[in-house]
Amino acid sequence: MTGTKQKILIVEDDRALQSALLEILAQEGYETVSAFDGEEGVQKAEENKPDLILLDLILPKKDGYEVLAELKRGPNKNIPVLILTNLEEIDNVQKALELGAKTFMVKSDFSLRDIIEKIKENLSPHQLPAE
Amino acid sequence: MFGRFLDGLNFVGRCKKYGLGIWQCPNFLFLMMGLITIAAMVGTFFVSSRFESEGVTIMSVTFEVVILMIIGTSVIRGVEKVAEANIMKTEFISIISHQMCSPLSAIKWNMEVIETERDPARCLPEKQMAFLQNIKKSNEQMLKMVTDLLEVARIDQGRSIFEKKDFDLADLAKEAIADFQSLAVEKKVKIESQIESDPQMVCGDERKMRVVLDNLISNAIKYSKEDGKIEVKLKRSGNKTVFSVQDWGVGIPRYQHSKVFEKFFRTKNESRYRTDGVGIGLYLAKSILQHCGGKVWFESEAGKGSTFFFSLPVA
Repeated sequence: MTGTKQKILIVEDDRALQSALLEILAQEGYETVSAFDGEEGVQKAEENKPDLILLDLILPKKDGYEVLAELKRGPNKNIPVLILTNLEEIDNVQKALELGAKTFMVKSDFSLRDIIEKIKENLSPHQLPAE
Repeated sequence: MFGRFLDGLNFVGRCKKYGLGIWQCPNFLFLMMGLITIAAMVGTFFVSSRFESEGVTIMSVTFEVVILMIIGTSVIRGVEKVAEANIMKTEFISIISHQMCSPLSAIKWNMEVIETERDPARCLPEKQMAFLQNIKKSNEQMLKMVTDLLEVARIDQGRSIFEKKDFDLADLAKEAIADFQSLAVEKKVKIESQIESDPQMVCGDERKMRVVLDNLISNAIKYSKEDGKIEVKLKRSGNKTVFSVQDWGVGIPRYQHSKVFEKFFRTKNESRYRTDGVGIGLYLAKSILQHCGGKVWFESEAGKGSTFFFSLPVA
């Protein structure tokens, strides 16, 4: 059980952001999966059963809210979802939290280090190895 | 005073300033309304004194009211366009700022990846790192401008989130001062602080109050002369906590005092000392403090410096 890397799915359409996140997560010892739009996000969540999902709100094909709603209806509803976006308005935050997101992070306020800390906070310590 | 009154009558000039045609200009339309109302009353008087018949009087009054209402609707539409333009301006700022945040965050994070590289074989030579630091600083400036603009737009639209939690303002002030040491050293300005050692608990949004502190302290540093100093004070005064930052820099001329907290306002003195900055720092500070139940004010004299104060009720 120990020694298995925890898997994180990053759903983000901006490739430069994906690139930075993937690098820092790999450095921290996580296994990573990327999705570049909402549909791919739902698909990869089902295929890979990650331990945690980083989800942007503005995405092509399906936006973050739709992805979140679908995830919470399906078999993967217990995977913690952390929202990573630039939308900071009250209605956005409330909607995301109501739909089941664990926490809401505004990109321009968070450094990569801050994001890693939030990920560690939200990953449960006794993860079963991914199937 | 009389000059301003005459100026107000020059509606053609004023409407050109707002970019409105004369039939959309509220000043002109209200004047027309006034003239038509007077004409209506005079006309009604003559009609009713000429004709004995009630019927004719009623008809002519009805006719005048209809004309008034037609003119009235174009007045309202003209004013509505002004209100629309105001909303669109806020939305415009919001849309542009949102779009800019993504690439700016991408730059910030990619810089962080480069900076935290642990493998010495992959580290960049010192010279390259220095240039990257320049990119990083410029990026931070842009990010701050965009975040501030977005916050202003959000507050204007009433969509900003204000947390209400107790926190220690003294701690926050000390953190802010520490963070500004490098800028102070760069500008050859000394930061002196007189912050009471006891915690100063206030209730509000800690992150937003940090923005207020940052804006006031950075202004004081940037407008100070070289080898000058700024003084930061924080003390309890009755049931309020009062913060002040004093600089001995360029100061603000008296005739501009009333505009200091306006959006996008920058004094002439200011532009001679710094070309960066959008002019919304103080507007933002005032809006945030008002939402937190506080007050902001200042004292300043051109050439002598300024002191900016704010107070918050004690938690």
